[in-house]
Amino acid sequence: MAESKQGKRMPAERLLDDDVLLEELRKGSPEAVEALFDRFHGKIYGLAMSILKNESDAEEATQDVFLTVFQKAHTFKGNSALYSWIYRICVNACLMRLRGKRRQETVSIEEFMPVFTEDGMHTSPVEDWSKEVERKMLDKELGRVIKKFTDELSEKYRVVFVLSDVEGMSNEETAQILGLTVPAVKSRLHRARLFLREQLSRYLQEGKTA
Amino acid sequence: MNCKELVYLLGEYLDGSMEEHLRKDLDGHIAMCDSCTNFLNTYDTTRIICRQVQLSEIPEEFRERLRTFVVAKAKEHHQGIEKYRRMAAEEQRRQVEELLRAFREGRLSSSLSLLFDTHRDRCETCGEFLRAQNGGAVPETIPRDIEEHLAEFLEAIPAGEEPFRT
Repeated sequence: MAESKQGKRMPAERLLDDDVLLEELRKGSPEAVEALFDRFHGKIYGLAMSILKNESDAEEATQDVFLTVFQKAHTFKGNSALYSWIYRICVNACLMRLRGKRRQETVSIEEFMPVFTEDGMHTSPVEDWSKEVERKMLDKELGRVIKKFTDELSEKYRVVFVLSDVEGMSNEETAQILGLTVPAVKSRLHRARLFLREQLSRYLQEGKTA
Repeated sequence: MNCKELVYLLGEYLDGSMEEHLRKDLDGHIAMCDSCTNFLNTYDTTRIICRQVQLSEIPEEFRERLRTFVVAKAKEHHQGIEKYRRMAAEEQRRQVEELLRAFREGRLSSSLSLLFDTHRDRCETCGEFLRAQNGGAVPETIPRDIEEHLAEFLEAIPAGEEPFRT
């Protein structure tokens, strides 16, 4: 239970409701600021890190996000969920930081797309390593490798992948956050998965031949 | 349906948004193509296993630094807003007092004078208060609800019209 300025006690669980949280933020309630921080700082930083791939940039972007949320809390109309509004602010803050910076080195996604013969068949037989990977699901090394592969995606694909496959958002939510169409989200997500599938495939193959 | 088309359509095949006749075509192809069966399995596993990717965790030192920053900025921001609200409220009170003084002294512009007289005769909240003003009574304080009503007249002054007669 938190004590507000007027001496009324504000049950902390009430602040889990987006409308109540925003209303209290607009009133300047310190409990609401704490609740907003506790609920979102980890997600914002994680998302910023996945876009910016640099700790100090992610730190500054996270600060920018909270400042924007305070300044714009009164403009939030509730047409979307609070988290999706905040994620959108985060993506924009990160893209602003990327603008003007030297583009980060990423691997060309085209080199990892499947290759087909002229009549649309696989050029070489595809192996099924799914069971092998499922057995290694909790393997730390595999986790590290997947993280490395996702970091190699260019930011255009990485952001969609993180929001959809890591954060578990629907294609519609991801589209809304990024200001993209749903078909564009589906297409980028599909290419990101094809890239990661191929990277995993080569990694496992190397492991066998090493 | 060939392997290239199947790979192109895998996303929709797995998320269930594919039309039934296309799904049947794909099922037919998968049933007779080992490579595509394997591709489907590995694509799906990739999708599942990548959900295990953890977003970077915030370093503890930064978390506390960030918390201090956020709390301080929120306070600063709110104090700025409060200061602006106080100034706006004081300005409104001053303007309403000015209007009432002009009302008592018969110095309101013709349109404001008409608005005040009509309001005095029709508003249950302000009627008695305004009639007392006509009698020359200077109020010690202006009740908040009456102030809000009278402040709306400030918005109603036609563009270019001076609120007071000199």
